[in-house]
Amino acid sequence: MSLSLLRKTASSLFILVVWQILVQTGNINELFLPAPLSVLRAMWAMTVSGTLPWAVLVSLNRLAQGFVYGSLAGVVLGLLAGAIGWIEDVLDPWIAAVYPIPKSALFPLFLLWFGLGDSSKIVTIAVGVLFLVLVNTITGVKAINPLLIKAAVDLGASRLQVFVKVILPGALPNIFTGLRLGAGMALILVFITEIEATKAGLGFLLWESFQLLETKNVFAGVVTFGILGVLTTWLLQWIERRACPWAQR
Amino acid sequence: MLVQLSGIGKVWPIARTGEQVVALDSITLDVTPGEFLILLGPSGCGKSTLLQIVAGLEQPSRGEIRFPARQGTNKLTSMVFQEYALFPWRTAIQNVVFGPEVRGVPRAEREATAARLIELVKLRGFESRYPHELSGGMRQRVALARALANDPALLLFDEPLAALDAQTRRVLQEELIRIWAETGKTFVYVTHSLEEAVLLGTRIVLMTARPGRIKRLIEVTLERPRRLTRRADAELLETLDALLRDEVKQAMGAEA
Repeated sequence: MSLSLLRKTASSLFILVVWQILVQTGNINELFLPAPLSVLRAMWAMTVSGTLPWAVLVSLNRLAQGFVYGSLAGVVLGLLAGAIGWIEDVLDPWIAAVYPIPKSALFPLFLLWFGLGDSSKIVTIAVGVLFLVLVNTITGVKAINPLLIKAAVDLGASRLQVFVKVILPGALPNIFTGLRLGAGMALILVFITEIEATKAGLGFLLWESFQLLETKNVFAGVVTFGILGVLTTWLLQWIERRACPWAQR
Repeated sequence: MLVQLSGIGKVWPIARTGEQVVALDSITLDVTPGEFLILLGPSGCGKSTLLQIVAGLEQPSRGEIRFPARQGTNKLTSMVFQEYALFPWRTAIQNVVFGPEVRGVPRAEREATAARLIELVKLRGFESRYPHELSGGMRQRVALARALANDPALLLFDEPLAALDAQTRRVLQEELIRIWAETGKTFVYVTHSLEEAVLLGTRIVLMTARPGRIKRLIEVTLERPRRLTRRADAELLETLDALLRDEVKQAMGAEA
């Protein structure tokens, strides 16, 4: 084990142990800060009872759908806007207007338009992801060395082939930057959209536990969100390594 | 005749000032099959622009370019750029195969071509490296193989060795001569290096600076392999140097 890894492990263990002791000796009220072991027990109980796995499944479904729709739209629009001048002109004012708006602020409107079900949540997540992916995709297309396009044309590539074989792979590293940011945004938005007007999902579980002052369960929700975040990051990294093996950092 | 240029002119408008810069003025030139034609001139003489016009990547403002040997719409030329212009997401062999791939050559055939060309530019064992994993010299070999893969009649070089160190440049100059002789292709080669012109060319087009015109056409009959230390080679270098220095002085005078 390397020294660096040793320090990291020691740091996390130390904090957890001190935290556990402080709660057990009564220095901290479990209502505000439950001990690590209590949180683990709560998570286990919620897993066995099925409430936690079900909440995760409901949230993952919204998350995945919103992320996939949003990123697909973002990539396609971004490639088109980056490569074709008039499409960029058409999109530009809308990007400029909507990009700075916190997408959670649009949720009430989407509730109004798409109802209380999954659709309004999926749309909110998709819109949040879309703009991050869109903006990064445009940046990626603009960053492509024009000489590469010249070389492709010189070798006989048609406009469509330049698009598919030069612009798309050329923008891919930036597209993945957008996807990573988009995944973080999707997690934030799935929580926010599950606070109100729903009876299922990890966000709902967490918020309901808070209202019942079951702090252990709130922590269980927070930890589960953390695990989801780590897993989505890993998944994206895994895909990125396979999709752009030439751009390894 | 492979290419006939008659009265080619190129004017660049400068949007900010509304000025018109004459990059090329009335270039008339024939490219004959099998020659190693050098376009030599000071920077800013429009020699790269001329090459891009031959490649069809730029349109001339005036004059006419004809390819008497062309059959149908098939492109006759392929370009090798100074900055390699390799696709970073493609391995060496995937770069080489790009031309045949976009032109719809069947997979087996284009892969055989690519393998043969990798052999020709001596890159066996490096086929699956990405460009960033190759040295500058190797990258330019890949770019050369990629340009050859479309089997063009004419290869166009835009200062291909200018970014390389002196040692690598020497080696690649010899390689270019070997490949030119082996393939029997016509090379049109832009450079600002007098040495390179003397070492490589069968004919040198010396260009004037701003606007680019043909100052002199020089047939080079020196025996190969050429050596700059040999008397005849050195004399040609002297002659070119004197002619080019005039041009540079005039260009700088015009700027001052």
